[in-house]
Amino acid sequence: MSALLHIAKKEIRIAFRERLIVFLGIIIMVLLGISLFAGFVSYEQQKEIITKTENDKRQEWLNQGDKHPHIAAHYGTFAFKPKTVLSLFDFGLDAYTGTSVYLEAHNQHEFMFRPAQDHSSMIRFGELSSSLVLQVLLPLLIIFLSFSSYTKEKESGTLKLLMSQGVSANAITWGKILAYCIILLIMLMPFFVGLILIANATANNDSLPDVASRTALLITIYAIYLFLVITIAVWISMKSLTGRNALLTLLTFWTFFVILMPKTVANLSESFYPLPSMREFKAGIEESKLNGLDGQTPRSVRMAELETEYLEKYKVDSLSQLPFNFEGVSMQAGEDYGNMVYDHHYEGIRAIFSKQNRLGSIASIFNPFIATQHLSMSLSGTDLHTFNHFENEVEEYRRMLVRRMNNDMAENSKYGEFYEYAAGEELWEEIDGFYYTAPTFFFALRPYYLELLSLLAWVVFTIFLLKRSNKKLKPIHG
Amino acid sequence: MDNRVKTLIRYEWKSFIRNKFQLLLLCITFGFGIYGIYYGNAEIEAQRETIRIVTALEESEFAQYRASFDNTNSSPDLEQIHDIAAQPSFAWFRHGYHAIIHPHDYASLAIGQRDLFRYYYRLTGMSLHYQLFENELANPVNLMAGNFDLSFVIIYLFPLIIIAFCYGLFSSEKENGTLPLLQIQTMSIQKITLIRLGFYFVIITGLALLISFLGLLYSGNVLAQGNLLAALVWLLAVLVYCSFWFGLLFLIIGLRKNSAFNAISAAGCWIFLLIIIPSVLNVLVTVKYPLNSSTLAGLTRRTGLENENDQEESREVIREFLAYRPDLEGTDSLIQNNLMPKAYAAYTTLKGMESQKVVDDYNEQVERRSKWTSKFHWLSPSVSLQEVFSQTTETDLATLVRFQNALSDFHGEITDFYFTRLFWDKPILEKDYDNLPQFSMPQTADKWRPILTSLAGVSLYTICLFSVGLIQMRRRIEGVK
Repeated sequence: MSALLHIAKKEIRIAFRERLIVFLGIIIMVLLGISLFAGFVSYEQQKEIITKTENDKRQEWLNQGDKHPHIAAHYGTFAFKPKTVLSLFDFGLDAYTGTSVYLEAHNQHEFMFRPAQDHSSMIRFGELSSSLVLQVLLPLLIIFLSFSSYTKEKESGTLKLLMSQGVSANAITWGKILAYCIILLIMLMPFFVGLILIANATANNDSLPDVASRTALLITIYAIYLFLVITIAVWISMKSLTGRNALLTLLTFWTFFVILMPKTVANLSESFYPLPSMREFKAGIEESKLNGLDGQTPRSVRMAELETEYLEKYKVDSLSQLPFNFEGVSMQAGEDYGNMVYDHHYEGIRAIFSKQNRLGSIASIFNPFIATQHLSMSLSGTDLHTFNHFENEVEEYRRMLVRRMNNDMAENSKYGEFYEYAAGEELWEEIDGFYYTAPTFFFALRPYYLELLSLLAWVVFTIFLLKRSNKKLKPIHG
Repeated sequence: MDNRVKTLIRYEWKSFIRNKFQLLLLCITFGFGIYGIYYGNAEIEAQRETIRIVTALEESEFAQYRASFDNTNSSPDLEQIHDIAAQPSFAWFRHGYHAIIHPHDYASLAIGQRDLFRYYYRLTGMSLHYQLFENELANPVNLMAGNFDLSFVIIYLFPLIIIAFCYGLFSSEKENGTLPLLQIQTMSIQKITLIRLGFYFVIITGLALLISFLGLLYSGNVLAQGNLLAALVWLLAVLVYCSFWFGLLFLIIGLRKNSAFNAISAAGCWIFLLIIIPSVLNVLVTVKYPLNSSTLAGLTRRTGLENENDQEESREVIREFLAYRPDLEGTDSLIQNNLMPKAYAAYTTLKGMESQKVVDDYNEQVERRSKWTSKFHWLSPSVSLQEVFSQTTETDLATLVRFQNALSDFHGEITDFYFTRLFWDKPILEKDYDNLPQFSMPQTADKWRPILTSLAGVSLYTICLFSVGLIQMRRRIEGVK
């Protein structure tokens, strides 16, 4: 045990002697600081903008004046995607998902304005976030730090000396790993403390629940990820004959796992499961609304059926004899049918998305970087599942609003009249404002079981690898 | 050529073809390049297909209108179509025209921002801003991952190949103990290193040019108008970019440190130029110029006249509109006949004018952002090159914004076409269908100047790197002596 600690101590001392490494370490710490600061500022800015706009739109809704409920349903309102507090850590998809949507009767609108559209093509290089530093840059520092951990001992012959003194390969390996873990811990401690403080201090009034447990798991995930990088780097150093080879191998791995594979998987998924264009998607919805989902029950037939149903149910001869305004009922029936049609078509799109993203999840089994990226976005509430959840809640709200308007019309206006009836602020107030709460911790993680499994499997796998190689280690210089 | 140089190159070639790992690396890069070309073409072909579909839809829509004129045997359905075809009060908000930005033949080599923006719009005479902000369907996960096109291969992968081939050119001789053998040659070690670097320059840059050339051949006719210059600029850009990285490597090698140092510094530079600089700039610009797109969202709200039945209100709106468009003013019948459609047309136009201010204001902010960032592109030649590639293939932000701005002119043409007939109470005639509004994408005054400026900048970098490298190497060698 003491040998292990001695080795760790020696490794740390050597690392701090390498000026290039210390320099890179400082750069990474500075970048972490900048990213946390910029993430925080951007979060606060967007939060302020969204809160203000939401209030404005709420006032517009309440003060729209007296009008017919159906006109109010068309006047509609807007929903804005709130930034989650942990987006200051991981921007995730925030630049690529739409940010606002118009809610009105009859039509589902898509989310507008992807923030990346307001950038030049440079945005495709990525935005600096803490997660980018931890996922992409820190592994490189680890590589630079540890590629020569074994090769140096081999090249200078010290490995022979160590082993001849009875130090086990196990102690050497784990001593080195421990040393790198301690170095990273020293580097990252201030950052994580800062993250915990900022996240929990600003978590009030945020759309993200369970911020504390999310942060705790985030830190755990990154600890596992970085531990994996360290063990793999040490293992490759152990297996390489020269430092040059170890470095080259590690850099090749890094390029493949971090740069090439994620992009290739995403692009392949696009080729395997192509999306229709917006025009086709909308045309499909229009067609189904016009001629029915089965293509054989046009709107006129559906309306006639509804009329007969109501006439028979209330045993009256004409629609004007009904105890409520049938137009409100037929309007809502049209709305319900439209919703069904939309759900049908939109589910098709969602299914394509989920097939595409499924490939990414499967790829994460082979690539801990992808696994970490997905888990990090999910915990930060900036992944696609959270966005879909938000979309669903918004659509739910829209339907509630329109239904309430149609019911009011059915209850309070007369058949055949339109402009004669106007509702007022009382009705508008019955509709609560839209406030979003993201899914809970467990719900957020559920779609990512493959990613979680992947990380655990990688840990077991690398420990096994090290164990086996430790046994075989011979102190010879190739 | 000097015999010694020939010998040197011959031996370099021998050791090059013996190194299976290096050959494999080149093959893999070639494979990625081909995949990039294929992927980019598939993406852009999908866009072309969509364009074909929407164009066909538009053609059949208008063919239907046209046909309705010579129909003698009428049915209620046909009459309805004829009404839409001939009466401006229906036609102005029903007739849809597509504004399309066709992909440049080489857009497939550098997709740029083209996957993020709409490349076609269907516009009617209705308020422009109802029709402007809808996005194309896209999986955000894949948008974030970006495109594996040829520009990606050249900008990201080729520097890595250059690093892998060259970082040990000098240091490995030292480490293998062959350096003293080289030093006793009549040729200076500096010259030997340069020649060997030149050898790899020819091979790697040659590969980059070869892949590019294949991409250019595959993606369009190189000799076609608008293509030839683009193709030449593309090849020039590849040449300049590879030279830059060789210059950088030369400088690093010239420091005469060990292989590990060289590899770490070169990889560090790569990270710095390709990840750190652009990502820091991106986050800074987001924070420095926060944008509030929710102001635009408000414009999409569908509003109308307060009370459609109130004729006086309708006339009021029409008069307000005519104050801006005195050319449409006609006889008194203007505000007597067909009041409702006119009032709506007037209302949406007035609203559109209001909205345009908000949009202009927003676009100005985007412009400010993009100006600010372009001031810093020079910090990273990789960022400059990405911009050069997307400018050359017309997939950059400026082109796409130009397209969006052109929409409002086109929309003006559409409304003019219908409103002159609507407000003068004239029907649309069959012969009017020969002169329908047509969208044309405005060309930029000077496409090539910013591109050449950027390339000149990167070339300047390269020259500096080589000069400093040379001076440094000389100094170090003298130090050894």
